[in-house]
Amino acid sequence: MDTTAGLGFKPEHLIDALLAQDRGLWFEVHADNYMVEGGPRLAALLALRERYPVSLHCVGLSIASFEAPESDYLAWLRRLAEKVEPLVVSDHLAWQKADGAHHADFLPFPRTFAALDQVVENLDRVQTALGRPILIENPSLYIDLPGHELSEADFLSEMARRSGCGLLIDVNNAYVSAANLGFCAAAYLDALPADRVGEVHLAGHTPDGDPESPLLIDSHDAPVAEAVWALYARLIRRIGPRPTLIERDDNIPSFAELMAERGRAHGLLALAATEMAAHV
Amino acid sequence: MSDLARFQAAFAVALADDDGVISDLALARALSIHRNTSVKAAIDALAANFPVVRRLVGEASFSAAAFAFVRAQPPGEPRLCVYGADFPAFLAAYAPYAEAAYLADVAVLERLYTEALFAADAEPLDGAAALVGLDLETPLPLHPACRAHAFAAPAASLWSAHQDDAAEPALDRLVWGGEQVLITRPAGEVHVASISQGAFAFLAACRSGRPLGEAAVAAAGSGEDLASLFATLITAGAFADTSHPSELNI
Repeated sequence: MDTTAGLGFKPEHLIDALLAQDRGLWFEVHADNYMVEGGPRLAALLALRERYPVSLHCVGLSIASFEAPESDYLAWLRRLAEKVEPLVVSDHLAWQKADGAHHADFLPFPRTFAALDQVVENLDRVQTALGRPILIENPSLYIDLPGHELSEADFLSEMARRSGCGLLIDVNNAYVSAANLGFCAAAYLDALPADRVGEVHLAGHTPDGDPESPLLIDSHDAPVAEAVWALYARLIRRIGPRPTLIERDDNIPSFAELMAERGRAHGLLALAATEMAAHV
Repeated sequence: MSDLARFQAAFAVALADDDGVISDLALARALSIHRNTSVKAAIDALAANFPVVRRLVGEASFSAAAFAFVRAQPPGEPRLCVYGADFPAFLAAYAPYAEAAYLADVAVLERLYTEALFAADAEPLDGAAALVGLDLETPLPLHPACRAHAFAAPAASLWSAHQDDAAEPALDRLVWGGEQVLITRPAGEVHVASISQGAFAFLAACRSGRPLGEAAVAAAGSGEDLASLFATLITAGAFADTSHPSELNI
């Protein structure tokens, strides 16, 4: 495969990124930051795109909202996708908007069959507007809401089967949710449909301040945890290599430090590819 | 109303009400985490878009003001890079800054900076081209990134004195008085400069679509040398070259 492990792009790393020579390297950006008319930030992204595959990760489709996605936002995303010709377009299984306000986080909801219908309908609108399937990421959860009718793995599988979307599996989110809600992360990952997974995310987390029963926060401000690396190795051994992203959004280290983490993912992907080939 | 709509409406109300009492401890904790994450993202966006206001008041004071603004006017759309259009007006009315009216002026300048940063691409009018074929009967179009504003405070000087590359005595040399500020984006980088009253009058006439000849008359009232005033504005990249539409511009 052409793209192996990639990095979340940080504007301060532009020169390092353009000079990197690493095989299989690609970049992902938060699409929302580039939904602008023009200027140097957009120009930097297009310069990056000249050299590497770039994927667009959105935070604003609010795909699990009871309302349809905002048409203005969809129009921005379509225009950006036309310019960038992204490897992948993705967003999260969550909702953000309520009563005119946008909550910049990924909010939970009861996974009912009615909610599944709504999510599939919202995805149809997005995928029709973009003219391509998108990937949907599993969320980090902090509470086991009452009223679920489907497990998260079943919800994601059904959503993908009915809408034609793919899955972006964030192994850190799975780890965080499993720790917070008390389920087995490995069993959860094992239950996901391999043929639907189009991308994998790896990120760091931090415990909140509670000394008695700490919750893990999906903070993207630390290196990927060892337990998450182990789950990742297990996942790609089962499903095969997939484009994998190291995400870091806070406490941004040097480009070299991020590339070291990226190199570890690249190595695991090469190993998984070798093992897959040996099983033919 | 669907169950999903009812759930999301109730969740959003609980999220917005940080003084509310939630008897379910697990729910209260989850709400607190989501509230912290979304409010932090909005405050971080304001800090990114108003860095000089933040330097002027200090991090703690800025965070308090930003928190109050986020509570009053949470982001209305996902694009946080353009969040804060009403933050300058909020600061103008913010009681703790009542004695520091210049803060709202600096905030207006920083908002115009953000607008200039993300404005559409276009070729600026260059000096040589400007000498050929300028028509006094036709309006001269401004570059999409061009912004001009007249401030009661020395907003451009305050802004410049709080840049990383500012010379050490910049603040000592500051003369307190109104400033006309020009913001442009020549060669892909945003520039902030104070300009003369004549240059500001010229740009204001261009902005309102008046022909070049009338803009010159408006500027002439200041008694300034029109040729050097015009050269200054062209060098800053204030005008668009409409004969060469940029390929990047949609």
